[in-house]
Amino acid sequence: MERRVVITACSAVSPIGHGKEQIVESLLKGISGVKALREDELISRFIHSHVYGTVSYPIAYDFSRQYRKTMGPVAYYACQVAKEVLAQAGLPAEFVTGGRLGIAFGSIHGSPTVQRDIYRIFFEAKDKASYQGIGAVDYLKSMVHTTAVNISKMFGITGRIIASGTACTTSSQSIGYGYEAVKYGLQDAMLCGGADEYDTITVAVFDNLLACSTAFNDHPEQTPRPFDRARDGLVVAEGAGAVMLEEYEFAKKRGAPILAEVIGFACNSNGGDLILPNLDGITKTLQLSLENAKIDASEIDLVSAHATATKMGDIIEAQANGAVFGPGPYVVALKSYMGHTMAACGAIETVLTIYMMQEGFIAPTLNLEDIDERCAMVHHVQKLIEHPVKTAAVQNFAFGGVNTSLLIRKLT
Amino acid sequence: MTRQDIEKEVRDIFLRAFEVENPEMDVNLREAYGFDSIDAIELLLEIEKFLDSELTQDEKKKAMDIRTMKQIIDYIEMLARKRGLAVE
Repeated sequence: MERRVVITACSAVSPIGHGKEQIVESLLKGISGVKALREDELISRFIHSHVYGTVSYPIAYDFSRQYRKTMGPVAYYACQVAKEVLAQAGLPAEFVTGGRLGIAFGSIHGSPTVQRDIYRIFFEAKDKASYQGIGAVDYLKSMVHTTAVNISKMFGITGRIIASGTACTTSSQSIGYGYEAVKYGLQDAMLCGGADEYDTITVAVFDNLLACSTAFNDHPEQTPRPFDRARDGLVVAEGAGAVMLEEYEFAKKRGAPILAEVIGFACNSNGGDLILPNLDGITKTLQLSLENAKIDASEIDLVSAHATATKMGDIIEAQANGAVFGPGPYVVALKSYMGHTMAACGAIETVLTIYMMQEGFIAPTLNLEDIDERCAMVHHVQKLIEHPVKTAAVQNFAFGGVNTSLLIRKLT
Repeated sequence: MTRQDIEKEVRDIFLRAFEVENPEMDVNLREAYGFDSIDAIELLLEIEKFLDSELTQDEKKKAMDIRTMKQIIDYIEMLARKRGLAVE
């Protein structure tokens, strides 16, 4: 049995705003959320890349201590967007707790802030008292499935838990696996997404791989520059995104707002190098998602590219898109506005794609001034355009050689 | 150290660590205030600080049956007596 799956709510906390109004305004006005890297009193002074996609505004959290006690910063982000999509979707209370709603939510490695405090004790502990500084809840705050289970606790959700932790494909997998859970009748709805908190260790990892942007430290808003000749690497970022997926008939029957339909998903692995982008693997993912959706490549209007602004990654992605879709669909690199929100990027980019579908515009790739000819085989968007989007592909690729492609369609 | 001192300290701990103001003496803490196993472990650390003495594993296990404020105060009083701290 295959069932149709629709998105009935979405929200994001991102470097370019919280919620639809702020985010759409940033997209329309070309406002970047990339700021200077913050001092962390640990390793930030050694990092060459001094830019970060930063959530720089306050968020009015309203979580009681009963929930806060097991939450690190990443779970705050996750529970906030989860709360917002639950409110938007308006599911009946008895359904939320009844077992037919599940959660697919992840982060790249739990809460690095909490982990760092644990390591500090580990290396500095000189007596029993300092050892006892490792709190009973530190594991619950820092474990890789901390976002999913804190959401389940806060809202009493009792369905299945999927907590992918596949770096940059974490939340695109969340949505994809949530889609499959609903499509095949395992759940009637899935709350899906991803989150990552401010973390300089992630910057250090990419910085040491020479994958981070360093040439625009004095002008953070000018980087990252996906597909641009002057791009010099990715910018790490923080944030969270979430969507509510529901079985179509169920959503329709209860009069839920239907924002879009998820029509296909594919995930594969390169089966080889864990870092280098792989043309065959990515190309295959895009093809598999079309097969999964049973649609032709010509039906895709818009591609939300993964496009981190690394030298090779952007070229391989453009080549794969050129081979599968040709020059037809518009291609936008949403990371140009905010950097790479890691585990959250698939969900945030899906949410932004839905916003563009709803509002009938396509945001340009920020900082794309001089298209690298090796990336020129696709239809880049350099200026804001008013254009209806019916079917969009959201692509994400991760360290470890994991690729995802999610296809969503506006219901007319 | 008097029983009143202990009660005052426990109330301070509940306010500071668990955000519970003036918990009632005989109600089930879990049912009334959502006090759970995680809070119980934290309470034990606070008790160690208060008594300035480490609790043994056996002493800690005895705390796992505690359900009310009164039982917490009884428990600390027992620990204090055992350590020769004056309890009137």
